[in-house]
Amino acid sequence: MARTLTFHIFRYNPQDPDSTPHMQDFVLEETANMTLFIALNRLREEQDPGLMFDFCCRAGICGSCGMVVNGRPRLACQTKTKDLPETITLLPLPVFKLIGDLCVDTGTWFREMYTRTESWIHTSQPFDPAKEEARMDNAVAEAIYEMERCIECGCCIAACSTARMRPDFLGAAGLARIARFAVDPRDERTDKDYFELIGNDFGVFGCMGLLACEDVCPKNLPLQNQLGFLRRKMGITAVKQLLGR
Amino acid sequence: MAVSLVTVDRPETGQRGGRVDAVWDWVQVLSGLGLALFLALHTLLTASVLLGASVLNAVAGALEAVHLDTLAHWIVPVLFLVHFAAAARKVPFRVREQRALWAQARMLRHADTWAWIFQAASGMAVLLLGVMHMWTTINAGAIEAAASAARVQSGGWVVLYLLLAPLGQAHAVIGVYRAGVKWGFIQDACRAQAVRLGLYVLAGGLVLSLAALVRYATL
Repeated sequence: MARTLTFHIFRYNPQDPDSTPHMQDFVLEETANMTLFIALNRLREEQDPGLMFDFCCRAGICGSCGMVVNGRPRLACQTKTKDLPETITLLPLPVFKLIGDLCVDTGTWFREMYTRTESWIHTSQPFDPAKEEARMDNAVAEAIYEMERCIECGCCIAACSTARMRPDFLGAAGLARIARFAVDPRDERTDKDYFELIGNDFGVFGCMGLLACEDVCPKNLPLQNQLGFLRRKMGITAVKQLLGR
Repeated sequence: MAVSLVTVDRPETGQRGGRVDAVWDWVQVLSGLGLALFLALHTLLTASVLLGASVLNAVAGALEAVHLDTLAHWIVPVLFLVHFAAAARKVPFRVREQRALWAQARMLRHADTWAWIFQAASGMAVLLLGVMHMWTTINAGAIEAAASAARVQSGGWVVLYLLLAPLGQAHAVIGVYRAGVKWGFIQDACRAQAVRLGLYVLAGGLVLSLAALVRYATL
């Protein structure tokens, strides 16, 4: 027998001076294989055309539909209503700038993070478009790809207590971005160069190890292992610098 | 005028020159591990009274013979205060930060996040209670079962120990787990086992210290 779902949804439009933050209830009959993506679209089509939320690929690839579902940041398109209780609370991701209702601006945050981490391959090799790409060991390529799987949904940042308390903290997404370049043999940056970027309390030493990032990542990225790897690497680099080596 | 007197108003983007932060992070983890090791040995020493007052007196006498007690009386208070200074960098003292953390914890309902809040709060309690305990024991002279029993039986001290022992042990176990996670020695594949092991160690420590406290109260 189909369940009747009650959605408590955060509503607020910062652009509208008359709008105030509040929760609004919606009721919807559950259908087979219903995801939050489907439910929200039905609510918008059938009950409130003004309901704001983001989506694009509906396949867990674009990272647009991150939101807080019953307290946990996750992707709406990957979340099936059958795995949730009859009452579902939806909030926008914290930390990011609110556009309206469930819709946040993750782009500005990620753009700034890319600038801070200098998120491109640093090489002195001249680029020759006619030349065949340099070959890479398969294990190294897979290690890079493992971190490249990040879809920038922002769930790890929204789950991070440090990021919520301290807006300058790079968060797991930023630190994992560095970890990706640190294993890339084409990037000529040294540990000392990476230390200049993340070897401080705004970077890897700001991480308090609460592991909410690891626990909510919809792509199951190995964030815990990468954060530990970077902290050891940067900690050892600091000791070497102090010893003048 | 020296350049070091000038404070430059610029946005704190966090980049460049974090060696001081790195040193504080090393100090935090090493002082914490040192204190956890001391606490483990301290728990075993105080629990040796369960085997009899003479056993505790003999163990304490052996330690005093090689002046380990004097060494501990100097090193432990220093480690204690240094660890507080290092760990306090992460503790949210501002109301805005506290509100953000509280909202996050209530929203997320995530065990590790709550464990950290407990750790921060217990750290403050241990700082206060621990200083009181250290001040008394350092000034008490030789470690003897009779002296400890007299202290436990003298009114409010038992309340202090009933708070300090569980809070200190839980703080230490969570701290060692978190140090392992942060520095990558506890990987994702063994995190659940590490949590289980930590809970066993905590349960064992609590049983030992509470049993010892009962023994002191009835000695």
